[in-house]
Amino acid sequence: MFEQIFDTALFDSATRAMIPILLAALGGMICERAGVFQIALEGMMLAGAFAAVAGSYLALNSGAGVLFGIAAGMLISLALAYGTVTRRGDSIVLGIALNLLAMGLTGFLLPQLFDVRGVFQHPRIDGLDRIAIPGLSQIPWVGPVLFDNTIPTYLALLLVPALWVFLFRTPIGLRLRGVGERPLAAETLGVSPTVYKYGAVLASGALAGMAGAQLSLGNVVQFAENMSSGRGWVAVVAVMLGRAHPVGVLAAAALFALAEALGFRFQGNGLPVQVTDALPFVVTLIALIVARKRFVRLLDLTTAA
Amino acid sequence: MLRRFLDELRSMSHRAVVSPVTFSLLFAFALAAAIVAVTGGDPLAAGAEMFTGAVTGSGLRNTLGRAIPIVGMALAVSIAFRSGIINLGGEGQMVIGGLAGTIVSIYVPGPGAVIVPLAMLTGAAVGALWAMLPAYGQTRLRLPILITSLLLNYVARAITGYLVRFPLSDVSVTLATTRQVPESARMPKMPIFGGVSLSLILVILLVALLWMVYTRTVVGYETQMAGFNMRSARYGGIDVEQRTVQVMMVGGAIGGLIGTHLIIGEALRFIDGELVLSGFAWTGLLVALLAVNRPIPIFITGLFFSGLQIGGLAMQRNAGVSWRLSQVLQAVVIVAVACRLSIRRSGRRRTEAGEAESAGVGEI
Repeated sequence: MFEQIFDTALFDSATRAMIPILLAALGGMICERAGVFQIALEGMMLAGAFAAVAGSYLALNSGAGVLFGIAAGMLISLALAYGTVTRRGDSIVLGIALNLLAMGLTGFLLPQLFDVRGVFQHPRIDGLDRIAIPGLSQIPWVGPVLFDNTIPTYLALLLVPALWVFLFRTPIGLRLRGVGERPLAAETLGVSPTVYKYGAVLASGALAGMAGAQLSLGNVVQFAENMSSGRGWVAVVAVMLGRAHPVGVLAAAALFALAEALGFRFQGNGLPVQVTDALPFVVTLIALIVARKRFVRLLDLTTAA
Repeated sequence: MLRRFLDELRSMSHRAVVSPVTFSLLFAFALAAAIVAVTGGDPLAAGAEMFTGAVTGSGLRNTLGRAIPIVGMALAVSIAFRSGIINLGGEGQMVIGGLAGTIVSIYVPGPGAVIVPLAMLTGAAVGALWAMLPAYGQTRLRLPILITSLLLNYVARAITGYLVRFPLSDVSVTLATTRQVPESARMPKMPIFGGVSLSLILVILLVALLWMVYTRTVVGYETQMAGFNMRSARYGGIDVEQRTVQVMMVGGAIGGLIGTHLIIGEALRFIDGELVLSGFAWTGLLVALLAVNRPIPIFITGLFFSGLQIGGLAMQRNAGVSWRLSQVLQAVVIVAVACRLSIRRSGRRRTEAGEAESAGVGEI
């Protein structure tokens, strides 16, 4: 029974489920470190997924599609950065409105540009290829799952150690954290909070956009309306549970992805799709309850008035 | 007397012209026109269709009808927003409450005069209970309502989806849906503008009631104080935890009422996913933000957003431009206004250096 459920196929689908959440959550983590509350991940991911399909369709190239996705995510994040940093608006109001903007805009452009409703599939859309890394992909079990994958997947996995080094071992990372934790001190030392916050928000836009591209060109090759379906919100929770630390965020994203993959698996074993769809969200809620003493800052930001 | 009135009028119109809302509306319409032009449409024709579609022919009736859920959901979330509680679970509260009300209307026999109120009350009660979950999550477990209420939307979708597809399914049709609400258990229509649901009166009464509570009672004052500054509210002897639960439950109850209305007054069947797809909960949330949680402006803004959507549908039929443009418009207005506006108005604004004000941080 155990071996029937936990096989390579399960970990393969868990990895697929994890990468979009991980990419978006790493972006959210950078924002959290810079002191910006980032809840527009869902919208940026959705916009990225749409733009990636549109870009791939127009340019007949998946790489161009990914770049389109990144650009779309960054465009929305630019609005967020301008609103919160320059205009000092409420990041929660802006985040909610930008999520809805992405939903409306993709829902509008889908029939308008491609004359389809709901789902856009086309042979012209070039999906992301899996690129096997010679040698590593031969490792039994781990190899075919992790080292025969798409470029956004490799990037996401490499970003975990890279962002750890960046945040905790480089002067720029130190300043970024300083801007988030002690803005006055940072400013006194000549570090501009504006520059670092813009940088953090734009980086999260790029990462969430790439997450969307992996969703619409990697996991499947199509765009479906609202296809981010809550993953951006799960990423927000992953930042909280992972305490805005790269390894913690990875662990949280892996947990939710495993729940999603198990859901798919149980679906195959006769469990209704409604039950399995809710599984990642139920697991997320349970994880929040279990780890409630461990996440501090984000909680204060969202509940203190 | 007349001069004072004219002066007042002049200052009001002056404030309206220079207000950020006016600017944001103009900005949103300009952006929408640009989007239509870029995607190969005619912005002027689309705009004309949108306007005439919203107010002429059956447009006015439909605009009033659609304003019911939009204003209702705006009132539902505004109650929490006013207390500084960010309830993003309107959708789940509406869907769960709506299904509960529908079940009563279909399966409980009796005359309409009993069943319709009973269904509405059941919807309200179940919506309130659903909203209680994130409320207690925050007061007892310190889980932010912002996150839990949102995640519970997906759980509510799954639960209703399952119930509608299996135990409550109408097997005579291929859709995943409940049976039809029997004739006697439907919300009656009023003979105005060619038939507007009686629920409109209910929504107007709610607007009036909330206006009275906010401006004339201690409870209204206390809930708002909690929104301005929780710590000083607590020092002032207000039980913030208890208020949080109450405020969430009242919001959830209104959500459940609206969900029930949408089935027994409009759709007549609970079709899986339809209530979510309608987006009323989110449109209502935007309305509450734009109207800064004040009941009467919520009613006016809700009518306006409803008109935008009904006009948008006419635009889709006659000018070939997708009605989803209305959603883009609504969201852009809020983004533009948000550069000036906060849910909690004076609450947790950031100081010059961008540091969150320390007052209240560390406490719920």
